[in-house]
Amino acid sequence: MSLGAVWIIARLELTQRLRSIGWYILLAVFAVVLLGVTGLAFAVYSWGEFVGAGVFSIVVNMVLLLVVLVSPTLSGNAINGDRDAATLAAVQVTAASTGDIMLGKLVAAVATGGAFLIVALPFLALSLLGGGANPLVLLVSLLVLVAEIVVVAAIGVGLSGLIARPLFSVATTYLVVAALAIGTLIVFGLGGLAIRSESTTYSRPYDSMGGAICDEWETYTTEVPRFDLVWWALAANPFVVLADATPTEFSSDGYPVDLFGQIKWGVRSAQQSPLEQRYDDCDGSWSTYRTPQEVIDSTVPSWFVGLGVQVVIAGSLFAGAWARTRTPAKRLPPGTRIA
Amino acid sequence: MTGIVVDGVSRSFGGVQAVRGATLRAQPGRVTGLVGPNGAGKTTLLLMLASLLAPDRGTISIGGVDPSADPLAARRMLGWMPDTLGAWPSLTARETITTTARLYRIPPSQAAARAGELLDLVDLGELADAPAKVLSRGQKQKLGLARALVHDPQVLLLDEPASGLDPEARVQLRVLLRRLAAEGRTVLISSHILSELEEVVDEAVFLVAGAVVDAAPAQTAVRTWRVRLAGATPERQNADVWQVASALSVAPDLLGADRGTVLIGFATEDAAAEALRALVNAGLAISEFTPAQSALEHAFLNLHPSDAPFGGVS
Repeated sequence: MSLGAVWIIARLELTQRLRSIGWYILLAVFAVVLLGVTGLAFAVYSWGEFVGAGVFSIVVNMVLLLVVLVSPTLSGNAINGDRDAATLAAVQVTAASTGDIMLGKLVAAVATGGAFLIVALPFLALSLLGGGANPLVLLVSLLVLVAEIVVVAAIGVGLSGLIARPLFSVATTYLVVAALAIGTLIVFGLGGLAIRSESTTYSRPYDSMGGAICDEWETYTTEVPRFDLVWWALAANPFVVLADATPTEFSSDGYPVDLFGQIKWGVRSAQQSPLEQRYDDCDGSWSTYRTPQEVIDSTVPSWFVGLGVQVVIAGSLFAGAWARTRTPAKRLPPGTRIA
Repeated sequence: MTGIVVDGVSRSFGGVQAVRGATLRAQPGRVTGLVGPNGAGKTTLLLMLASLLAPDRGTISIGGVDPSADPLAARRMLGWMPDTLGAWPSLTARETITTTARLYRIPPSQAAARAGELLDLVDLGELADAPAKVLSRGQKQKLGLARALVHDPQVLLLDEPASGLDPEARVQLRVLLRRLAAEGRTVLISSHILSELEEVVDEAVFLVAGAVVDAAPAQTAVRTWRVRLAGATPERQNADVWQVASALSVAPDLLGADRGTVLIGFATEDAAAEALRALVNAGLAISEFTPAQSALEHAFLNLHPSDAPFGGVS
């Protein structure tokens, strides 16, 4: 394997893209969308002192959304598309190894996803003008974003090496990515609603004067969904990984200041058992209530499990494609010609 | 340098046996033709030689290197031209060559020089900066040939290089292949345009249903000759056939006819020479007396003995 050959193959792939007008139109449309989103994000976060952090988090999530929506089309036919065009064998017969080809394709797919990030850079810079952003948050969120770009690219390149027809491999890449982004939400939502338990709510009884009786509890039970049993399903969601991995900044009253923190709060809240609620009118408060900061501090992070699951999926697809692309070929994907 | 040595190579795809026990040799300094009907396994065999496909059984040696054991060493030695050029659609002809050169680890400055040289060699100099996708089929073939030569390979594997080429380009290809062989390279070329192949190959290997067949018996089989009497017309054809048949004392229905000429099968060249003498002595105005097929075509068509066109005249 050689870095030079990897780069030549990646450049070959990218040159094809850079010379198509459609690609620039796509990026221009993305820039226009980001402009609108950034404007709206400034309006959304104008209530606090952390405007910049909020806008930044929205722009990063938009980039991730675009990567999830567009990358499969661009990486999902990397290998079988070349096989169809008979250009794969022309590379395989040279001194470039299978590893050079696979990594070159991956680098090109990652660079393609990275192009969306580069288009977003001016908007990220703009968001920082709003102030309140923590450099660590910026750094970690961008690193996780890059990791997600690599995962989606590897899934696409992997499936394109395993499935003979480009149309099917692109569709399958979409399905795998959608299983992570939407499927996890569906499992979480349906699973939580399907599993229900009796929940007991404790409150103080009242005397005839309307005052609370502070040495007695009154209970009533309801059936509640058990999201605390299925919260793990969200772990592998790319947006959840991004939010959960990024350190959260809190405002003085314990609320997250950006979208990352708000998503994280939502997911972490699902970990809490709904089985017992206690409202103590003698204290004048829900004694089971906790601020977002308390919720986040008392629950377990899951991003590394989720990212690990994604890496295993992407890695095994990529490794499988690597084995299938090796020459001299022993087995070919059914229905393919080598050249 | 031992050229190409293929020994008992087999390869199947699923249940289809594409190549079975093929054994052949191609010597350095010679052009070897690989001849066979469509689906005979020519391309599969070439893919195995090009180190892209692993044989199920048997051994291959390219210049002394087994491509299964050391594909990289084999690839540095061999130049492969596929039957269809996979052209990167948005690269120009020049970039196609330089990129391929770079993939063979040729430094950029040399790669650029090599590209110019090769494009001139295959007569694509004027189209060097045109996108590869606008090239015609013949021009793509030329580009494919230039690409196969980029790293100065000692062994050339050419799959149908002449298809799509105009007559002038075919002549150029022939001259180029002879020159490459004269430089001591091993050239293995597959084609189904047998008359073309005949003028360039030193020897031919016949591949039928995945197996190499011995063409020697086929070459001794009855061969068809074409006889034309001066001023022949299609209308006069039956009369001509009758005249030739009576001069040779054979039944007219043993002879064939084609666009005014008479077709006769002879088992040997001596029999043909004898017949010509008889025809001339009988006072017939012979304007053409020639084999109806090239020697290669004759051998090829007689690989299936049942297809022999006409019965022999002894």
